[in-house]
Amino acid sequence: MAYSYGRPALKSSVDVQLQTAFSDGNWNSVVRLADKRAKSLKDPYYEAIKVAAESKLDGAAESGAVLTAIEELAKQKTVPDIDTIELYEWAADDFIGEEIEYADTLGPLRVKWAKANPKSPLAMGCLQSCLEYWDLVSAQQISTALDKAYLNSGDRRYMFWSITLTFLLSISPQCSESSRRVYSLLVLKQLERAAEVTENTPKVEAKDRGLLTEEEVCLYYRVLLAHGNKEDFVRRVKSAGLGALVLLEKGHKLLFWECLDSLSAWGEWDLIFDLCRQALRLGVKGVTAPFFVCDLKVWRIFAAAASKAANPESALEEVQTVLKEFFAIDMKTAQMYKKNLSLALLESTFRLPSIEDPVPEGSGMTPRVVQLGLFLDECFDKLAAFDDVKGYISELTFEEAKALVDKILPKLLDTIPDKPRQVILRSLICKIRYLLTTCPMTLSRQPSVVDGQPQSEAYRCRFCSNLASLPCRHCVKQVITEAASAYKQISADKELIGLIPGLDKDPRQDLALVIATSLLKLSGLRASHSSISGPPLRDVDPELLLQAIFILDTQVRSTPADNGLRLLLVELCLLVGASSYAQQLWIPMDVKRTIQDALSPLFFDRISSLSPGLFQGSRPLTEPLRSYYANSLRNDSPLKIWDAFSAGSYTSILDLSQYDNRLRTSCTLLMTLVEEARATRSFGGKIDIEIADHPLVAHITDDTQLINKTDYGSFPNIEYPHGPQIQDFVRLGPELSNERAHIAFLTEQFADLLAYKPPKDYKPARTSDAAARDRNYALESLTRLNHSLTNFIHHPSTPSLLTGPEMTYYSVVSLLASALLTSLSTARGDPTPKTLSLATSSVRNALSSLRNACFHSASLHMPATLFALTDIHTVAYLRETALVAKHSATFVLAFHERELARDRSGKSALHRDVVSEMKALEAVASKTLAETKNHLQKLKEMLGEGGWLDRLLEWTFGHEGGEAEREGEGYRAAVADIAGGRDTAEEWAGKMLESWRETVKGWLMTRWD
Amino acid sequence: MANFRRFRPDDLNKLSKCNLDPLTETYELGFYLQYYAKWPSLFQVAEDQDGNIIGYIMGKVESSPDVYQFSEHYLPWHAHITAVTVAPEARRLGIGRLLTEQLEAGADANNAWFVDLFVRKTNYKAINFYKSMGYSIFRVVKDYYGDHSSDPTKSSEDAYDMRKPMKRDVNKEHIREDGEKFEVEPSDVW
Repeated sequence: MAYSYGRPALKSSVDVQLQTAFSDGNWNSVVRLADKRAKSLKDPYYEAIKVAAESKLDGAAESGAVLTAIEELAKQKTVPDIDTIELYEWAADDFIGEEIEYADTLGPLRVKWAKANPKSPLAMGCLQSCLEYWDLVSAQQISTALDKAYLNSGDRRYMFWSITLTFLLSISPQCSESSRRVYSLLVLKQLERAAEVTENTPKVEAKDRGLLTEEEVCLYYRVLLAHGNKEDFVRRVKSAGLGALVLLEKGHKLLFWECLDSLSAWGEWDLIFDLCRQALRLGVKGVTAPFFVCDLKVWRIFAAAASKAANPESALEEVQTVLKEFFAIDMKTAQMYKKNLSLALLESTFRLPSIEDPVPEGSGMTPRVVQLGLFLDECFDKLAAFDDVKGYISELTFEEAKALVDKILPKLLDTIPDKPRQVILRSLICKIRYLLTTCPMTLSRQPSVVDGQPQSEAYRCRFCSNLASLPCRHCVKQVITEAASAYKQISADKELIGLIPGLDKDPRQDLALVIATSLLKLSGLRASHSSISGPPLRDVDPELLLQAIFILDTQVRSTPADNGLRLLLVELCLLVGASSYAQQLWIPMDVKRTIQDALSPLFFDRISSLSPGLFQGSRPLTEPLRSYYANSLRNDSPLKIWDAFSAGSYTSILDLSQYDNRLRTSCTLLMTLVEEARATRSFGGKIDIEIADHPLVAHITDDTQLINKTDYGSFPNIEYPHGPQIQDFVRLGPELSNERAHIAFLTEQFADLLAYKPPKDYKPARTSDAAARDRNYALESLTRLNHSLTNFIHHPSTPSLLTGPEMTYYSVVSLLASALLTSLSTARGDPTPKTLSLATSSVRNALSSLRNACFHSASLHMPATLFALTDIHTVAYLRETALVAKHSATFVLAFHERELARDRSGKSALHRDVVSEMKALEAVASKTLAETKNHLQKLKEMLGEGGWLDRLLEWTFGHEGGEAEREGEGYRAAVADIAGGRDTAEEWAGKMLESWRETVKGWLMTRWD
Repeated sequence: MANFRRFRPDDLNKLSKCNLDPLTETYELGFYLQYYAKWPSLFQVAEDQDGNIIGYIMGKVESSPDVYQFSEHYLPWHAHITAVTVAPEARRLGIGRLLTEQLEAGADANNAWFVDLFVRKTNYKAINFYKSMGYSIFRVVKDYYGDHSSDPTKSSEDAYDMRKPMKRDVNKEHIREDGEKFEVEPSDVW
């Protein structure tokens, strides 16, 4: 067993003195006493105690003796002593996976013992131990032995442990492809046999080898899905003994859900239609609880299947008939189900085939719009109302959308008598109106030339008839004006303000969201999925962007529990480089423990390139994340796997195993280690362990698919559902991805190689041999890194997964790996390959282009200082690029110097051209670093000057009386109206400024040599 | 708007709507997975149309360890509600009630005598909610919580141990009417 918490018990025959020494951990005494007993009693068990105790001593020779003992034990043909195995397993715990493989040593020993003693309770302990070290081959063999031993015992777990483990092996990299094929056939056959027993036995008893429990049946279907064929699956789903409806009737829903997923992936719509109809009717007839399967998913898939039927009208009519039966159930239904039924009605209406317009042409009052109106009439005041209808609204034609906005919603508003519900509806209308500005159906294509005049926009907005692109700026401004007016109305109405605490949510939260998102769109902020476009804020109107941030900030201060707005604000603060303020906003959300994997990227991704100063503190910034992974992935086995085995939760076993795999290959895990390593390097800190050797990522190879599971669910999205979502606009660059995680991982390995220094006490006897070994190691590492980096960087999708500066930096690292390879491998007498000068000149060009981006590029709209403050990410990568170039050159030149010092003949030193190229590169890199530091120093000095509050407020709100008076710009005045007074604005501006100052200060504390 | 189904581990990547709410505790990974491993049918979630988790309930079935069989505090085979939460945006739709009912159905399927839970003595909203579902106070656990939810000067708070009898308890042997009067120490409960 995995001995994380204790040591094994010694045999009861062991004397008290030795027992006490052992339980006290007095290892020297244990060694002495055990040795004595071994000699006097001639019992090899005492020798095992001695070896085990020696493993706890400091000396390497003593502690390693247990490994030899295990190997010797494994070679013996006799059945080993179980207590000796327990002792050795405990003693070797730290070596397993490093010096010895469990599956090659202790696992087979456990198997040997369990096969010889299958009925002993300790045999189950052997199984548990193999599972905890995730040795599936041994575990499967033990489980098979247990199954045979307990064939007619009535304890069904042994049979299904064996089956589950055979299935796990059939999909595991622990065995060969051919073995996997054999295991897949075997497990399928075992379960088919069990399924037949169930189908053909009137009442299956525990002693029968059929499928009895929900877990057993679901395991069978999972196996069938993995290794069987569609026909068998479909046949079984329909069967009388094991069909999906059979379990449903018994109150088990899992299989039904899983079958719907599989069948819809195969397009088995007729069967789905039939299953859904029957399943829902079970509720109507009272076979199950009425609303047992009344989930929205079931209704949606039912309606989708009906729409794909040979006669969709009639099938959808049947859907509505079933719905009516539910509506007619006379009982106190939970609001949730009432809402599900209303949504199901909406769904079935939207799935009706498009028919010839039955309403007056152009009126748009189709059944779909009418049904939407009815739904909103019933549910508009529910918090999720907008999310409920968003998808349907985006499916409307323009005429329908116009009817909704011009007829249905105003009419609905007129019918609401009370003020609070009125403002809730008004805020919902603003959200709908914003949504429509993001929907393509609101635009019509425009000829590129009209009356001989080329047109500035490719589209015309069908709402306002102005030339437009998506979204229509005119309509967005209109939305801002309407939302600001509603906001102002609420704030000015004391009676209404007094009623707000009684509502589910202050409607101003939604209005602030609409205003801020609209301002972001007007500012020119674009979704980030391309590295080609340059700094994300280059073409952005800073005034509107800062206004959006200010509006959100004001709202979050007023309603701090609104995590959606808070997340948006965190991302925006990171985007404009106000990282320490973003951190202040992030901390109250208390992202900890299990939710870190999915949520931490929202703050921590790229944080070392924004504000390494945040890592300076008593507790490392990413320590909670690292601890989380260290605790959760401590063992090789999935967490709680034995609990699932002992409880007979077979689907849990499969899911836990899959989840464990995903967690071990999480992009967030890689992000954690990379960000931490970069921040440590930035400050010249000591790297405890090279990244490639870190136990959490030691298993990752180039072929490992790294998984991004970032949770954006709490972002308030009012965007068109089939386009970029709000997080894509406010995030600094593309989200985490397999490619970026791999490239960053490889780049850190390159940095580790450059930074490597042998231990001070390392004095090799034969310096020439050691030098040759070092050179070979460097060449091998560079070859591997160059190959891997080139592959990832040249992948067609990679540029769209990185920011521009990242792309430049990683390309430079790849070029440097190649240049170093050439440098170290070119003999002095050979001509230098041209690739070297090509690589170094590309590096110089890259540095030059990043320098231009940092020091000479300007925004169309943004003051130079603000542009510099908001593009720290590029500055960070200029520094990183210059540093990696400098360190690479230093690495080569140091190698050259070492060789010259070691070998006076100069034969092993590097080529003259190589040395000169590297010196030139080092000089360029040093110059760039000095310039970059100077740039930041100037920024710091500028930020230290007076008048910054006024300047920032001017950037945010423009000159007094200036911008607001421009024609068609009345929305600016509306925003200013709700923004609060000067004091609020100054407080916010002060925080932003302080954050920028801290960022720049932090950068100046980093190493620049 | 919602689906009710059994929890699956990937749901842990979709918890933000529930767990960013300060009233919802976030546990270590092993805690969630232990419930999923041992009592998968008693770990139910409600999800929205985008797959976000908007509510969940975690429960277990167990009895006190055998060694306490003759103790007055021994708990026979019963179900326990460990955690139940609903995202702010999904409240007042009856989701908490539906999740609790599902756990009760699981308790009956496991032949449990009763379902029990602990709630802070000052959490009147939750107490009333459970009372409306047929739960009653069985006993008061003194200083069960190591902090106080509404009074920062206090370092602890009592809990109510509330129970609802299941079908197996035909004679209602495992509930009492005056549970507020029965006080026990935290060491008396498992």
